[in-house]
Parts: sequence; C-alpha cells; structure tokens
Amino acid sequence: MRTDRIPGLAIVKGMLFAVRQVFRPNLTVRYPEELNEISPRHRGRLILLYDEAGTLKCETCFQCAQACPIECIDMGGVDTRNRYHVHWGASEQYAERREESALRRSGRPVPDRTFDPFEPVDLGPLDEILAAGKYKPANALAMLESAQGVYGHLPVAALQHMAHQTGADYAALYGMATSYPHLHFEPPVGHIVRVCRCTQCTLLGGGRVLAAFREHLGTDVGGVSPDGAVRLDVTACGGTSSGSAYVEVDGEPLPKSSPEDAATIAAALRANVPQGEAA
Amino acid sequence: MSAATTPTPTPAGVSPLGKVVLALLAVVLAGALAFFLLWVTGVGPLAVDWIIETGDANIEILRFIAAATGVLLFTVPAAFVIIYMELKLIAQMNLRVGPDRTGPWGSLASLMAGLKVLSKEDFTPRGVDVPVYTLAPAVVFLASVMTLLVIPFAPGMAGYYMELGLLYFFAASGIGVVGLMMAGWSSFNKYSLLGGIRAAAAVISYELPLILGTFGVVLLAGTLNLGQIVENQAGWMWNWYAFQQPLALIIFFIAATAEAGRTPFDYTEADSELVAGFATEYSGMRFGFFFFAEYVNVFILSALTVTLFLGGYHTGVDIDPILGFLGVTTPVELGNIDPGSLGPWLLAIPFLVPPILVLAVSGLIWMVKSEWGIIKSLVVGFVLTNLLVGAAVSFWAIFSFEALLGLLVFFGKSFGLVALFVLMRATYPRVRIDQMANFAWKWLMPAALLNIFVTAGAIIIVREYFS
Amino acid sequence: MTTPREQVRSLDDPEVMVQTPGTIYDTIPPLTPRTEREAEFYDVGDGEMLVNLGPQHPSTHGVLRVVLKIDGEKIVDLDPVMGYLHRGVEKICEHGDWHHAISNTDPLEYAASMFSESLPVLSAERLLELEVPRRAEYIRVLAWELNRISSHALFIGWLALDLGGITPILYGFGERDEIVEMLASLTGQKLLFNYMRIGGVNGDLNHDFLSRLGDWMSRAGARINDQATLMNENEIFVNRTKGLGVVSREMALQYGMSGPPLRATGVPYDVRRAHPYSVYPELEFDIPVRSDGDSYARYLLHVDEIKQSLRIIDQVLHQMPDGPVMAKLPRLLRVPPGRAFAALESPRGQYAVYAVSDGSDQPFRFRIHDPSFFNLQAVVPLTRGHLLADIMAIMASLDPIMGGIDK
Repeated sequence: MRTDRIPGLAIVKGMLFAVRQVFRPNLTVRYPEELNEISPRHRGRLILLYDEAGTLKCETCFQCAQACPIECIDMGGVDTRNRYHVHWGASEQYAERREESALRRSGRPVPDRTFDPFEPVDLGPLDEILAAGKYKPANALAMLESAQGVYGHLPVAALQHMAHQTGADYAALYGMATSYPHLHFEPPVGHIVRVCRCTQCTLLGGGRVLAAFREHLGTDVGGVSPDGAVRLDVTACGGTSSGSAYVEVDGEPLPKSSPEDAATIAAALRANVPQGEAA
Repeated sequence: MSAATTPTPTPAGVSPLGKVVLALLAVVLAGALAFFLLWVTGVGPLAVDWIIETGDANIEILRFIAAATGVLLFTVPAAFVIIYMELKLIAQMNLRVGPDRTGPWGSLASLMAGLKVLSKEDFTPRGVDVPVYTLAPAVVFLASVMTLLVIPFAPGMAGYYMELGLLYFFAASGIGVVGLMMAGWSSFNKYSLLGGIRAAAAVISYELPLILGTFGVVLLAGTLNLGQIVENQAGWMWNWYAFQQPLALIIFFIAATAEAGRTPFDYTEADSELVAGFATEYSGMRFGFFFFAEYVNVFILSALTVTLFLGGYHTGVDIDPILGFLGVTTPVELGNIDPGSLGPWLLAIPFLVPPILVLAVSGLIWMVKSEWGIIKSLVVGFVLTNLLVGAAVSFWAIFSFEALLGLLVFFGKSFGLVALFVLMRATYPRVRIDQMANFAWKWLMPAALLNIFVTAGAIIIVREYFS
Repeated sequence: MTTPREQVRSLDDPEVMVQTPGTIYDTIPPLTPRTEREAEFYDVGDGEMLVNLGPQHPSTHGVLRVVLKIDGEKIVDLDPVMGYLHRGVEKICEHGDWHHAISNTDPLEYAASMFSESLPVLSAERLLELEVPRRAEYIRVLAWELNRISSHALFIGWLALDLGGITPILYGFGERDEIVEMLASLTGQKLLFNYMRIGGVNGDLNHDFLSRLGDWMSRAGARINDQATLMNENEIFVNRTKGLGVVSREMALQYGMSGPPLRATGVPYDVRRAHPYSVYPELEFDIPVRSDGDSYARYLLHVDEIKQSLRIIDQVLHQMPDGPVMAKLPRLLRVPPGRAFAALESPRGQYAVYAVSDGSDQPFRFRIHDPSFFNLQAVVPLTRGHLLADIMAIMASLDPIMGGIDK
C-alpha cells in the first residue's frame, strides 16, 4: 500500500478523512426536540399497562414481586370487599403503598391514601404564607421557614398542602427541608444540642466532643435522651470554627467546647427540662 | 438562627431593571452637572488643554500603553473563539453536535466556560510552596501574551516595532517553560511533578528545531524585524517564504505543535495518563490562566507561522497592476466631493435619501412577495436596507483602508492554521515521550541545520553568480 | 494488597484525625509486608517513587488500582490491586433461583452481557440434559455475534482513547449504538439484556428488530472501517503499539490466557471450534490468528474477528428455522443434582462456569472463570521496563472488563 512507502502520507490521509466527516450528518439525537424511538418491548418504564379496551392488565398475582432477584417490588392492596389488607414485600422499603389495581377494579373512588396516617392541621395560616410567597416553588425555603414559625415544626399535612398548591413535588420539598438543620419535622421537644462534623471541626476535636455528649446524654445522633429532655443532632458550622469544634445548644453557639464541658452541659440541660422552645 | 415568625411582605419597590436605569440616570446627571460646572468656571478647557499638551509630548509612551492594553484585551476573546472552534469542529468530526444550547449554535459556550472557571473556589492546598504556586500561572500566561507585542497584525498595526522582534518573541515564549516547572514543582504532588517535568522536557526539546527552522527565513530576509519580514512578502503569492523554504515550514509547524502542547504532543494535558499533569492542584481562575495561556499560545504560534512563511497580512494578490490595467483608480475618494457646494441640499440629503431607499426596497419586496402586507414589507425593507448599506460601507472601508483588509486577511490565515491544529487534535493519538524526544533531536534538528546550510549556500551562489 | 484491617480507621472513632499542626508532614508509617512479593515491591530504592494509578482513572477500564514503582518515567514494577468492583455475584447467585442467576450474572461482562448471561443457562441445560429448540439456538448465536461486534467496536475505540486519539471511540459508539438499539427492540433493554432463558430465549424475533437488522447489515461495519482507516496505518498509532507488550506462546499458555491475546500469539484456540456448543458446528467461519503477539497484532485480530462475525450473522439469517423459542419447563425448576462445566467464547476469551447443583431450586455453587482475570495478569511482566505511557497501551490491548475480574 502506498501509505507504507511514503512516511507521513497515512497521517495526511487520516486528516483528510476526518475533515470529510464534518460534512456527514451527525448521530446526535437532539433531545427534547427529537426523541429516540423506544421499542414497544422496552422494559424501562415503571408503569402499569392497560390493554386496548382500557382495562388494567395487572392481576395482582404477586409473581413479579416473587420473581424479582433483588426484591425491589413491593405490593400492598385491599381486597375488593375491603375485608383484609394484603401485603407482599419488605414493608419498610417504600412505605405502605396501596396498589392501584384492586382498588381501581373495585370501582370505588381512589383517595391518595399515602398521607392518611398523618394528622391534619389547620391550613389557614399556611394559605396566607403560600399567597405571600406567590405559590412559587422558588420561594420554597422562605415559605417553609414561615410554616415552621407558625406550627413549630413542619407537619406532613402542611408539606402535602404546600406541594399541592405550588405544584412542586412533595419529595422535592421534603428533600429541601432536610438540607437545612434549622427545619425539622417533629414537634420540638426540650433542648437540642448540635455538634458539627465537618473536617475542620473534627480535626479540632469534634469527635471527642460528640462521643462525650453521646455518653452523657445516653443517646446517639438524631435521638432523644431517655428522659425525653434533650435531643442530640448534627449541624454544619459553615466554616465558623473558633479554635474548638462548633457546638450549638438551643441554637446558640458555645464559645468553646470540650469533652469535659459536655458532661456539665448535659446535666444542666436535663435538670432544666420545661422549655418547650427550640429554634 | 431562629426562623421568621411572620411572613415577609413583598417589597413594593423598584424592579431590578428599574434600579439599573435609575443608577445610570444618576451617573449621567452627575456627569452632566460636573461637566457644566467645569465649563462654566473655566477649569474644564484648561484641563483639556493640559491633557492634550502632555499627550502630544509623550505620544510614544501613550502609544505603547495603548498597544499593551490592546494586546492584553485581545487575548481573552481570541482564546474564546479558539475554544469554541475546537469544541464545534472536533464535535463535527466526531459525528456529534458540540455545544448547541448556550447562545445561537452554542457560541456562548466558551464564554460560559470562562465564567465557570472564574466562579470556582480559589484555594491553596496545604504543603505547597505558596509564592511559587501563586506566580506560576501568571508566568505561563504572561510568557504567551508578551509575545503578541511584536506581531504585525496589519500594515502599521503592530504593538511595537522592534529591530530584534523575532529574538524577543522566542525569548518571551521561552519563559513559559519556567512557569511549567514552577507549577509542577511547587504543587505538593507526585503527579504534578511528573507532569511538569514531562511537559518541560517536551517543550525544551522542540525549542531548538523551532528556532533553527526560522533561520532560513532570517537569512533570506536579512533582518529580525517581523514587520520587515512581512513587507518582503508583499505582492504575489510566490513571494511568500513558504515557497522558498518549504522544509523550514514543515519543521516549524511540527515544532510549533509541540511548543503549544497540542496533540500529538500534548503532555501538558495527557489526561488519560496522569490526571491533569502539572495543573492537577490548580483550580478556579489559576487553572483558567493555564487554560487560556495554552490557547493564546496556539494563536501566537499560528500568527508567527503566518508572519514568517505565509505572507502576514498580504492577500497574495497584487491588485494594483490589475486595477491599472483596467484603468480603475482606487474606489470613490470622498475628497473629490465638496460638501459646501451642495448648499441647503446638504441638510436635505440625510432626510431624503434613506426614506427613498427604504421605500424602493420595500416596494420591490411587496411586489415580489404577494402574501406579505405593506407593513411587513416595510419592516423587512427597512432591515434589508440597513444591511445593504452596512455591507456597502464595509466593503468600501475594507478596500480603501488597507489596515482593515490586512487585519481580515491576517486573522483569516491565523485562524485557518488554528483550525489545522484543531484538526490534528481530533485525528491523532499521542506520541510517547521518548519517541517524541527521539524525533526532535534525531530528525528535526538535523533537518533544520541542513536547511540552514542549504539556504546559506544558495544565497552565496546566487549572489556570486547571478547578480 | 489492601490496607490491613487493624490499620483501617473509622470516622466514628473520636480519635481520628485529631492532629496538631506539626503532624501533617509525618509520613505514613510503612506497612509490614505480609508476603515476599510485598516485601520486594514496597522496598523502594533510591530515586524510585510509588505512584497510584488509582481506582478512579480515565484509562483503567473500570475501577482497577495499579500501584506503580517508577524511576523517572520508567516503570520498575507494578502491583495491580483488584476488588474495587467486587459485588459478590457468585454468592448472590446461591440465594436465588436458577432463573434469578441470569439477571445476576448479567453485569459480569457488561459490555457484552449476552455471554455472561448464558453461563447459568448453559450449565443448567447440561444438568437437565435439555433439548433446546433449534430456532432458539440460532437466535442465541445471532445475539452472541451481535454482542461480539459491539464489544469489539468499543475495544477499538478504547484503545485509541487511551493512546490519546479522541475520534475513533465516537465512531465505535456510533456503531455500538445501532446494534444496541436493535437488541433493545428485541430484548427490551440496551445494556443488561436478561434475554437468555434456561431452555431458550425470552421472546421471538419481531418485525422491528428484523427491519433494523436488515438496515444495519447493508452498511454493517462501515463505521468499523472508518475507525480502521483512522488507525490501521497511522504512523503514530503503529509506533505506539507495534512491538509493545509482546506475549510469547509459552507465556500465554502458562498464564491461562484465552481469546484474542492468545490467538495473537499463534495458538488457534477458539472455544467455538475446540469444544463446540450450540449450532456453531453447522456454521462456516474462520478463526483469525496472528503470530506477532504484540498490541498491534491484538488490535488487528479484533478487526478480523468482526468480519468473521458478520459472516456468521449472514449465515444465521439465511438458515434460521421455524419453531418455538423456548423449551417446555416446569414452573418451579428443580435441577437434578450434579456438576456441570460450560464454556463459551466471549469477545474477551473463554468464559466458563463450573456449576454445582444439589437438586433444589437454588444453585449450590457457581464458580465463574472470567477471561479478563487471566488476561490482565499478564500486564505485570509485560509492562516492567516500559514507560508510563505504555501501560495504557498494553492494558487496553488486553481488553479487560473489571466487572468480570472482580465479579
């Protein structure tokens, strides 16, 4: 072949070839203007299928849940005469989900039962907050903080109402609320001690402080002490460390923290129980 | 840390745009007031006179400052254009689309890349040698940018005309190696060290063929002044040094590929081998400096190739003989028309000619496009007239101001060579470092030396026997 | 050689990382070597450095950590550390059904998963002494060969990418895209197909698949030819791979290598001809063999194999019989007790499984023999003495897939 004999010719040939490719149509599918055709057999869609007559194909035979090698399908349902509740699968994984099929086939109206167990709250103040925030998900943080100011914490019913009114996903609001340590979902109880676990604070001895609090309060992170007086939580210091790890008690940062102080602070808080205010 | 207890009311105030307009208005009013006061009290004209006097006295320094500033300001947009070209061209060669969404046809993508790099956290890792670490990007960037000072962009438009322009160019670009080594060594990191040393070895190996490749041109031109070298290539295309020194052009181009750190010699960014080479520990704008410096380097090496071998800002076509043959003088000279002789029609012309033109063009459109109404044809006619007049004025400007034509030709040629660099990046794998060193020392350097001997011999022979 | 258990510190340990400013420059105390090889490797000489080609790296074909002992640019010694992708596949298979094992072994060779899925299938069929319908066998061969072509297209692209060329991999992905969409219309997924079943396959060919296949066959391999044009004669590429990583015949047989690295040394061993399975005895194809044993020969061998696969697909489409695609099996499958060994020729070499059944509906043990595991071991002797850039060329030309290596 000629390219063997003349040094450098193959290199030029390669370049010319590449230039020719510029003028060929490219392979990119410009989503969302162009969509890739999905074959009818594609199994990637998580939906229940209906047949041509509009009837649901799912028979609730549990075979899919039984066959799944990693046990990721969870089904629950009510039988058509509402006699008993059927469930198959790990109950904690995706929470109790009412399976559509039995309900829909029974011809009854299907309420969204996911949030049934949660107590209703007075939604009047929440409506005002939503109107002030113009129902925009972009103002979600401000609205969540106002809601916490009104209710003391973020009840599930409030979050659900907010999700319905703003159009944002419940999961999105919930997820946003979990990112901020000052928003919490249970009613405030007693005192809260928060320790920072960032690298800087850990280098300054944060681990020891946290261990001391764990020991003296008798609970782990995220839990409440046995007498229900003090809760232990973690937070982020935001870089404001001052020579010792960042510890907050009831929202006020301590000037200096050490494992020895932890014992005294824990005892003081426990003695000082009736203070149902937490920031 | 406590949550708000009442919902915050919406501020019934000015919108953001309103705030900007108000601020601008305040500035304009303050400026007008200051100007009025200065003029009335007589301080203004005195100050203006003084400024003009000192300016005239120190025109050289002012010109230099303006040139240096212009050069600095030029580098970043040039880098943006090259980055965009790279992204789009390589994508097309890979049968992809490249940036598509930011700006029309993705043209703002490189601007966004620059802003992204600017907005990242600027940190100094623990254990680095702080002064060296901080200065390394500056050294690498300045090494590339300083060389732009001597390149002639257009007739009469070089930053600074030096007698030793080519020497200054190589001296300035050689400082870049120091920057690479500084970066590699000061990062407290084995990968950076390896990457820095490899990159420095590559760049140093190819400095010699780069410089030796230009000696042929210097011998033929008899000067190191880049402006003079370009002037020697005026006229027809066969005056270009590329036809008298083809071997030197090839050597120079290959060495330039290695100098700029482009594939197939890209050790500075061999990311399938050693993470990010010497720039592993850099992030944010520090990395942005290296990034821009590389692309500016590509541009300046293309610009130097164009200056030395491809005729600089000359078009390669000598139109004066053609025009003389056809009996046409240079296009319309405004000096032939005497505005004073027109009398009151002088004022009428700006008010009469544009509407007539617009109406004529719109009328044509309206007649041709039957489905368009009068308003639509008027609007389209207006836009089209503006475009036509703009194009006519641009053509007139380009052909009567040689500077503009020269600038366009120069940039066209330079970016064409940059496109060649980009093409090579898309097509070739990387050369191994020992093969690269082999190639530089055993092939390119002897070839460059051979070129010099042959050129010198030819000059002597021609001088002795033919003139 | 991972960090010994005693030295691993947990973040919950309150003592962790409490350091005074003076301690940040303390070197990490040396590990006590546990084997002779460790002692030899971690004895760092003068001027040598230990560098991690870490688990996160663009060129290690997955998560592979290679500890390199380098002297400047030259590699003195290497120590690959595997196990970052270990998912306990063999153990998981023991907990499910024989049918579950199909989707569990899918991700072993994720680039061409029809091959790794077929392992429990073939071994169960041997234990059951099941007669698979002919149409199902032909469809299996079609699926295997399509997967082989898509995997080789990817290999060529990877090899170029590791050497620094950014274009051939996109051509490879273009080809692979078409094949994989074809298989998606057949099986329902694009990567982990879950298509093989004990006794046949999961669904007959449909119109969508056949029309796409017809379209593709008319320009089959065009993009592979493009890739080859860019790379075959390119001097830079040839200089980077020729004479590099030469595997001799004896070394290949000693290390138990199989597949293209073995055939590039001159040994014409292909499981499809040596221990025929499925309908391969009825199909005509050649086994490409080269004798140089270097990276360039391995690359050319892959290109040859694509041509042979196209030949096979052509014959299969012409000879496809009618019939059912799945044998009749009881709903609860109890495989008779016994042991079976089943081997396939995958794009990387001989993929084999030794299955032990105890008569229940769960397999007792699968021992999976993955070709990349054995092929990758050759990296150590081959790379000693070469430069840092060569380890990429050698590793890429051996075509490892970490999913199979770590199982």
